[in-house]
Amino acid sequence: MAFSLPSALLVGVSLAMGASLLGAAAQTPAPRTPIPPPGATAPGPEAPDPSLSPECRVPGSKLYTLAKLRGVKKALREHRAVDVLSVGSSSGGLGIAGSYPVRLEDALEKSMPDVAVEVQSRGVSGEIVYGAAERLRNVIAETEPDLVVWQVGTNDALARVDIEEFSRSLSETVAWIKSHGIDVVLVDPQYTASLAGDGYFDRFVAAIRTVAASEQVPLVQRYEAMRYLSARAKGEAAGGGFRLADLGFRCMAEHVTRAITVSLLEPDVTAPPPAGQTAARKPE
Amino acid sequence: MMREPNAVDFWRGFALITIFINHIPGNVFQEYTYSQYGISDAAELFVFLAGWSIGIAIHGRGGQTEPALRTVLRLLSRMVEVYRAQLVITAIALAMLAGAALALDNPLLVEWHNAGPIFTDPIQATVGWVTLLHQLGFFNILPLYVVLLALAPAFVLMARIHRGLTLAMSLSLYAVCLVDEINLPSWPSEGHWFFNPFCWQLLLVLGFLAHEWHRESPRFLAWRRLLMPLGIVLVAVGAVLAVLHLRPDPLLVPEPRLLFTFDKSYLSPARLLHFLGILLAFQPLFALIQPRAPWLVRQLAALGRNSLAVFSVGSVASLAVQLVRFSTEGGFVVDVFAVGCGLFLLAFTAWFVEWRSRSPRPSSSA
Repeated sequence: MAFSLPSALLVGVSLAMGASLLGAAAQTPAPRTPIPPPGATAPGPEAPDPSLSPECRVPGSKLYTLAKLRGVKKALREHRAVDVLSVGSSSGGLGIAGSYPVRLEDALEKSMPDVAVEVQSRGVSGEIVYGAAERLRNVIAETEPDLVVWQVGTNDALARVDIEEFSRSLSETVAWIKSHGIDVVLVDPQYTASLAGDGYFDRFVAAIRTVAASEQVPLVQRYEAMRYLSARAKGEAAGGGFRLADLGFRCMAEHVTRAITVSLLEPDVTAPPPAGQTAARKPE
Repeated sequence: MMREPNAVDFWRGFALITIFINHIPGNVFQEYTYSQYGISDAAELFVFLAGWSIGIAIHGRGGQTEPALRTVLRLLSRMVEVYRAQLVITAIALAMLAGAALALDNPLLVEWHNAGPIFTDPIQATVGWVTLLHQLGFFNILPLYVVLLALAPAFVLMARIHRGLTLAMSLSLYAVCLVDEINLPSWPSEGHWFFNPFCWQLLLVLGFLAHEWHRESPRFLAWRRLLMPLGIVLVAVGAVLAVLHLRPDPLLVPEPRLLFTFDKSYLSPARLLHFLGILLAFQPLFALIQPRAPWLVRQLAALGRNSLAVFSVGSVASLAVQLVRFSTEGGFVVDVFAVGCGLFLLAFTAWFVEWRSRSPRPSSSA
């Protein structure tokens, strides 16, 4: 089950956001609006997003679901550096400069030129159902970030934990992080062809999507995006799942950054969510 | 001759089995380990008993204390052994993850248990895992033990001068690292060690000193008995907190927050207290089990006598069971079969190590 904004609504919302931001810019007393980053407008959700580098180009609808990022916006309003905690297992890249946390910091700073971004990373090992969620709480207390970018689920999925227990643990943890005014962006596990027929994985990834929708946090659909990239790459020289995984790592920083910057365009006003927002099925 | 089954070996064997089962997340037996019903777990028991065993090792048969230099060399040689075991099991685990990833055509597997950087960033991560700065998930107890054995000579020799002073030094180191959040770093990934040796040394020292007091002081025994009800209360409180899933919110507790949270890396005071409660509450248990289940006692004590070999094989076996559970999609039958094979392998390992030490080895005569 996929829960997300219907595409028409997304286009509408992004247009409206553009307009409201222009309006907001005119009304706010502050000389410059901290957001949005220049030139960042949400593209049509079905066309490959041209702001992404060619090898990572995925339509928005396949890449993210959006939600507000209040903690990051607050940091931007206060003109201070945004502290990001990246949680997950992969480093992905040769040497320090190529690692995912460094790429994420670069990509975020590039897309928000006036903003300093500090990315710390922690590899919280183990399953969130069996203790890793507790360790994550301790790590968050230690680092006190504005935003947690959390690659979630790989360890739990490989251990084939009960999906309901996983969902409950994920919801609780996300709700706890948000209750302390800290934003969360979830990143679901990577896709690989040998899992395509694995019903457990499909249900697992869907469960993460459900939690992201019900807890109202942005989700980077790495699984969906990599599936799209792998379908597009068909016919090119075969390298198996490992080449796709490599591409997935290289694109992750860009994909996460895109989801964050587009989420920052979400309007501040807490309007009641449009009917069917959380229950709408993604067009596919 | 192998030593007769005793309480220390028995509980060490018990801890080894608990760790083996807890290192297979999601298996059906996990719910029946005592770690699910308390704040502390088998890691505390294992480290405390390691300290107690140092106490046993440094006394000769007649009870006399061995020369200082001999103790230092003994601990150093044990440290080398443990370090070697850590390298071997980590290398095997990496090959298992990579091999399974190739066989199942699944790159997710090389990301498992913090192994990602070793395959995506091998230049730095090779330096990292060989120097113990990069540890795989569940492969983090032996690195702790290596550092503890490096610290042990200082405490063991100091205890010959003054035991109270030794305890005070150990407690101070623990408290300072807890309050100032001092830990060894991990590298190349950011973060720190899963088990902070500067905090966990307290358990090793407590185990060692408890052995020394136990040997010499009848008052120690009297106090232990007297405090047993307190231990039972602590265990009961721990069980209620664990079952109801109650724990302090680390963002709401006052500073220094590690004094109040249930943090495993820093062995927070709540975990320590709960573990001491377990020691006090279950002290008479071995004497009750021994006459009733001699076979069980013999088996567990054999595991405990050969703890390093059994732990090493158990680490690799638990990863193997995880891979089997993943590829077969798990289930009750798979769990019973795979965990059963693992337990058999642990028992075989203990037997095999003792058989090797009894039999002349062809390699040594070559």
